[in-house]
Amino acid sequence: MKNVSRIIPCYAADTSGVCSALYEFGGMTVVHDASGCNSTYSTHDEPRWYDQRSMIYISALTELDAVMGNDEKLIGDIVSAAKDRSPAFIALCGSPMPMMTGFDYRAVAEDIQHRTGIPTFGIETNGTRSYVDGASKALLALVKEFVHDMPKDSFEGTTVNIIGATPLDFGMTGAVESMRRYFSEHKIKVISSIGMGSTLDEISKAASAKVDLVVSYTGLETARYMEKEFGIPYICGVPVGETVQAETCCAALHEAAHGGKPMSVMYRGKCGEEKAERLVIGEAVTAGSIAFSWHILTHSAVDVICPPDIDAPLSPDKKDLPLLSEDEITAYLSDNGIKTVIADPLYRYILPEDCKLIELPHFAFSGRCFARDMRDIINNVNKEFFE
Amino acid sequence: MIKLAIYGKGGIGKSTCTANLAAAFASLGKRVIQIGCDPKADSTINLLGGTPVTPVMDYMREHDDEPTSIEEISKVGYGGILCIETGGPTPGLGCAGRGIITTFALLEELELFEKFKPDVVLYDVLGDVVCGGFAAPIREGYADKVLIVTSGEKMALYAANNINKAVKNFEDRSYAKVRGIIMNRRAVENEEEKVRAFAESAGLDVAADIPRSADIIKYEDMGKTVIEGDPECETAKRFFGLAKLLIAEDEANG
Repeated sequence: MKNVSRIIPCYAADTSGVCSALYEFGGMTVVHDASGCNSTYSTHDEPRWYDQRSMIYISALTELDAVMGNDEKLIGDIVSAAKDRSPAFIALCGSPMPMMTGFDYRAVAEDIQHRTGIPTFGIETNGTRSYVDGASKALLALVKEFVHDMPKDSFEGTTVNIIGATPLDFGMTGAVESMRRYFSEHKIKVISSIGMGSTLDEISKAASAKVDLVVSYTGLETARYMEKEFGIPYICGVPVGETVQAETCCAALHEAAHGGKPMSVMYRGKCGEEKAERLVIGEAVTAGSIAFSWHILTHSAVDVICPPDIDAPLSPDKKDLPLLSEDEITAYLSDNGIKTVIADPLYRYILPEDCKLIELPHFAFSGRCFARDMRDIINNVNKEFFE
Repeated sequence: MIKLAIYGKGGIGKSTCTANLAAAFASLGKRVIQIGCDPKADSTINLLGGTPVTPVMDYMREHDDEPTSIEEISKVGYGGILCIETGGPTPGLGCAGRGIITTFALLEELELFEKFKPDVVLYDVLGDVVCGGFAAPIREGYADKVLIVTSGEKMALYAANNINKAVKNFEDRSYAKVRGIIMNRRAVENEEEKVRAFAESAGLDVAADIPRSADIIKYEDMGKTVIEGDPECETAKRFFGLAKLLIAEDEANG
């Protein structure tokens, strides 16, 4: 019964991560799953569903298809739909049942690509991991397919790709536009936003940027790939509001773009050396960036808990706490005398009585419940927020 | 890297052949991994002096968690061969095929190949390609060649034919191809003719001819392969011959 949540919800699943990450690029995303209904995804995890069209399909896997391993039916359906819709690419991901039957995503994707001539990638999801895992794999597959080496952009200053922004972490708050505006004021040109806020054509020019900015853990694997393939350095962090951290973020981008050592713009304070009374719970990069700002403002230690499953803590000194379960988080809160927490409002129900909550809704956690209260942390987090 | 999956009818001698082939590769200086893909978890026992390794599924059952290192689920046996067993669920429960997939995903996560850097990987797979899980060893990234073990017995040849057809079903995918047959003799009348007739009709090569020998049983009783027990005996020579053939083919393919 490990990782069971009795009070708080779980984070959006890996399948939602795939659909969200690929939503805006004109591809066809197919979730191999039963029922044919995609309301879990569209109702709870996708704020763009009613405003922006995207080709998201469910395969309507039946019991007999699963038992018989009837891959041909799925392949035929996808090929037929692709011929009608002419998507820019096809992404195939899955749910628990194909996981149990050992469905081979890579081989089936290859077959579909062979039959349609459309770039197709199989993304191994199983509906049991968090959105971070699915979105991360989806962005990496997209970049591997569409980004190729090319000369650097002619802009003389710093050029950057924003990697990993999806509504699951940033909601529909205009965060990507805010980042573009903020960077533009600091002589940084955004080449593409790999996740949301760019076209596939813009993303295909991503290798012309001088530096990558990873704004969520979702973007980390893609940034690592681009560093290896195209020699583009990356830094991890979100520029948080009108704070020193945001200025540090710009400085770090300029520095890395011009051959300097990538600096960290996430919290690297006195975690572990000094008992923290402040805590941020959330997605690793956003939480780490907010913790950085908070630390600078208060000169106090801030801890970070990242409940969505990640492979390893982002902090090189491994002081982020990858606590996955409700039990682990609850125990940590009560054992460590935490006084103030920045987290999604639904965490209120597991906080100790004397603990103050600063609400920061997270779409991947509470879905549409607090969507209207989500903050554009780039534009809308200042000293008052932390107070 | 040589990556082989060994299939064949239950009880036909797959584990015996696989372990002897692994030992032959190791004796020829290769770094070898043998992965038993059978809930019985007895594929590697004769490489380990009769003391079995903890199967991956047993580890997970006992710890209710995944292992964090290769060492927890492997043992080094004869000739430095890294021995791993997938194991399986409690008989009559769960899903053994899924157990194989889970084990493979885990080994990938633990970066088995990157860390051990093998020259040869052998997958010893349960009886037949009965479901997706038992086809996992022939998927892209795992084995790229299949050896089918058969005797001249009717049911063994029947199973061999089924396995060959199952692998052919995946021709459109980048799966392993059948390399040939290991004829494991059982003293059946006209055995060689029967096996060769099947091989010819299926368009397959008889890659090795293993004689029926008391040496195999003698050394298995001691927890050894014949390669370890008596490398000069005729049976051992046949396994050495097969190993050398496969090494030469691998080298020829660059």
